[in-house]
Amino acid sequence: MVWQGTLALMALQTLDALGPLHGYGIARRIEQTSGDLLSVNYGTIYPALLKLEQEGYIRSEWGVSENNRKAKYYKLTRAGRKQLQKEAHQWKQATTIMDRFLSPAKEAS
Amino acid sequence: MRPLRAWLVRILGLFGQNRRDREFAEELESHLQLHVEDGIRSGLTPAEARRAAIIRLGGIEPIKESHRDRRGIPFLETPARDLAYAARMLRRNPGFTATVVLTLGLGIGATTAIFTVVNAVLLRPLPYPEPDRLVYIAMSFGEPGDHAFSFTPDYTAWQNHNRTLSQIAGYRMFQANFTGGGEAERITGAYATRSLFPLLGVQPVMGRTFLPEEDRPGGPAVAILSHAFWKRRFGGDPSVIGKALTLDADTYTVVGVLPATFLIPGREESNYDLWVPFAISDSGKAKQILLQVVGRLKPGVGIGAVRSDLEPLMQQFRRKRSVVVSEWHERVAGGARRSLLIFLCTVSFVLLIACVNVANLLLSRAAAREKEMAVRRALGAGRGRVLRQLLTESTLLGLLAGAVGLALAYWGKNLLIALIARNLPALEPIRLDYRVLAFNLGLGLLTGVAFGLAPALQASKVQLNESLKEAGRGAADGHSGNRLRNLLVVFEVALAMVLLCGAGLLFKSFLRLRGIDPGFRSDRILTLNVNLTLSQYPKPLERTRFFQQAIERIAVLPGVEAVGAGTSLPLGGYSMTVSGLTIEGKPEADTAASLTMVSPDYLRTLAIPLVQGRYFSDSDREGSPSVVIVDESFAHRLFPGENCLGRRIQNPGRKTDWMTIVGVVRDIRSWPEQMASGEMYLCYLQAEQVHLRMTGGEMGSEMYLAIRTAGDPMSLAAAVRSQIALIDKSQPVHDMKTLDERRAGSLAPRRVSMLLVVAFAALALILGSIGIYGVVSYSVSRRTHEIGVRMALGAHQGQILGMVLRNGLGLIAAGVAIGLMASAGLTRLISSELWGVSATDPWTFAAVIVVLAASGSAACLLPAWRAARVDPTRALRYE
Repeated sequence: MVWQGTLALMALQTLDALGPLHGYGIARRIEQTSGDLLSVNYGTIYPALLKLEQEGYIRSEWGVSENNRKAKYYKLTRAGRKQLQKEAHQWKQATTIMDRFLSPAKEAS
Repeated sequence: MRPLRAWLVRILGLFGQNRRDREFAEELESHLQLHVEDGIRSGLTPAEARRAAIIRLGGIEPIKESHRDRRGIPFLETPARDLAYAARMLRRNPGFTATVVLTLGLGIGATTAIFTVVNAVLLRPLPYPEPDRLVYIAMSFGEPGDHAFSFTPDYTAWQNHNRTLSQIAGYRMFQANFTGGGEAERITGAYATRSLFPLLGVQPVMGRTFLPEEDRPGGPAVAILSHAFWKRRFGGDPSVIGKALTLDADTYTVVGVLPATFLIPGREESNYDLWVPFAISDSGKAKQILLQVVGRLKPGVGIGAVRSDLEPLMQQFRRKRSVVVSEWHERVAGGARRSLLIFLCTVSFVLLIACVNVANLLLSRAAAREKEMAVRRALGAGRGRVLRQLLTESTLLGLLAGAVGLALAYWGKNLLIALIARNLPALEPIRLDYRVLAFNLGLGLLTGVAFGLAPALQASKVQLNESLKEAGRGAADGHSGNRLRNLLVVFEVALAMVLLCGAGLLFKSFLRLRGIDPGFRSDRILTLNVNLTLSQYPKPLERTRFFQQAIERIAVLPGVEAVGAGTSLPLGGYSMTVSGLTIEGKPEADTAASLTMVSPDYLRTLAIPLVQGRYFSDSDREGSPSVVIVDESFAHRLFPGENCLGRRIQNPGRKTDWMTIVGVVRDIRSWPEQMASGEMYLCYLQAEQVHLRMTGGEMGSEMYLAIRTAGDPMSLAAAVRSQIALIDKSQPVHDMKTLDERRAGSLAPRRVSMLLVVAFAALALILGSIGIYGVVSYSVSRRTHEIGVRMALGAHQGQILGMVLRNGLGLIAAGVAIGLMASAGLTRLISSELWGVSATDPWTFAAVIVVLAASGSAACLLPAWRAARVDPTRALRYE
């Protein structure tokens, strides 16, 4: 299961790393990077993308794919980049805390 | 800020849905193509690849749906879409829609109409500023019952020394003969203290209210007219202020006209034609007069504080007296609460039964629509989504029915008001206001959910695979569906049973009441009242002469058989009670009795039977020995086991005179509730020698005439009127009615309550029978195949008939059993409305069971008969 916030963060990260990309590409990328850990319906990416777009973190426009298919491309905006940095930072903080909290033995040694 | 932006975009997303839908479809299509190409590259056939891509996507339609939800505002859009869909469904099934809307509309309409009355009487505040601060003040001698009046000396003390009321006012009803300008008329007016109009915040439409010097003894005689009286007697004359009018030979100057909406709330009709100042004397020696007192609480003072404030101020402690303070609205309307709530309960039972019927109809339809539901679920609609759609449909039905109900209530309320106006206190006119509208809307919504919930839950619970595979019959039609339907019918029968029991008890009480022998004959008798202006007829002899002339003139009119006159009538006027009578030879006797002064022919005209002795005759006049006729109760109470003829009673008017008992007549029972308590009749030809004084007039100035006619009594009305006008045209004829009308009038409130409840119960019975019919015939149609098999296996028609009947009668029996228990508990609530019948009268209950069983069986019989006539070969093919 993927909850919406995480999916949105992953989509933002993907767009930051790979540049403008279509929905299918983003879904594939998330699936690959998460090592199939998050087995998600590709379709769930679309409401998440729509939400990001409504919030102004990404923009979309129609373009042409590598194999000459018409596809809608999503692109990070400046606000989106800032949001990514903020959220990534929060995530790292949160995971560090959780990490420390869950493995106290390591700290003792 | 970001979420705000998102919401803005979503609100914009409500527009241009089609374009966005198309665009997203394209995006999904390109997604799929990209995926399919990848699939083909990894070695799948195009078809396989596409299938894999769609599965991986999670289905096209569900994704579109969630995309759409995110794009706009689903909880706004979905209902709108559901509503449009529901409207389409209802339009496509006009028969079904009409049945539901009419059934429910009838129920809602009746409930709304009753609520309109409840609202006007119990909920709407009095039409004065700050109505919740108005209180009604009366004194009590510690006796139970109605406390309506106070005495003037107490009022004066309260007015001068109270600390809890910002204003206090008193008023008192009177009747007088109004003359001048057209026919003389007996009018009803009221004395009012100057403070009354300011206390109520009433401004006259013309002129002014009373001035400080006007409500003192000896003040100027002025009058304020009611709007209706001004229109009726002065033709709405705009220059009426300053004009004179005559009441009982006294002249008054008109100083004001009240607005048309002005009214003094009262338990009964209280239309005062005009108001004159209430001159209350401050001197301690003045006569005590009864009056009605109202007050306005000072800010921050609770109603409880008033009593302890006013009680010590009371003037007279000879007897144990206390002050009763109540909210004015409660005092006026409180008495109607019980019967109105009974109506409301009754009518809501009917509504509930209508809801049950509609729920059953929906359940059957749900079974038929099961496939549609299955398809919806298969296409990705969640159970909640389907539930919401179905509830939208039923709510729409409820609202439509509400609209029909509102229209019915609007037209029906006048009928209802005409029917029950006599049972209601005098308050503002009854009308539809925002509370009624809110109630109606709420009722529509509530019934929509109430009858829709069970069927919707049932229908949304489809077994996908089963339903799609099966041709027609599935889960909703299975055991749980049937059980629910049966439960609803049992419930419905139980409700109808309770209503019928209540109606039966009221009906029986009414019959009991009407069957009472009143002791006189009321058919073919015209009655009327003449109240002589005392200043024109100061002596008893003059008054007697007036009425003797009237009797002689009327007696010779064609069609008149007998004429009598009495100071009161059974069912008319106020009888007078005298106490402390002395009976010759019985010094210790308890001698209170009511007293009526009558003309010689009065008893004969009313056909009050003579038991012993003789009636009065023309020779019982002034100068001959004083005589009296008593009734049986009087005779039995004072002369048990003795012959009372010839015994003597001391004349209460003149202690040296003794009245001889010359006759004993049968008791009369004017009011059904009244128990005979002893009655004395005096002959009015001896008025001078036995005449009695009483407050507010003298005995014999007001007389009722009773005229026995050969034909329709009312046809003589005009002739009688003109004969009296020929004697003295300034003495108005008043309160002209047939005696039958008076009798019916005394039963009218009970009759109306009974009729309403019986009508509702009949409606419940009809709806209940329709419900039974619906369920049984539905089950027959569903079991046609089974019945065919049974017949093919050798069952004959009688067996099939019995099977179906057993099915229906079982439901009725269960309903009756539950209804019986509920009735036994609930009819106790109306026991105060019953007369001569116990709240659990077994005969009534038995009759109700018979009626229910009979109409229930009739409802089962038709489908059962149809089942028995099933053609097995046809039935086996039936699917």
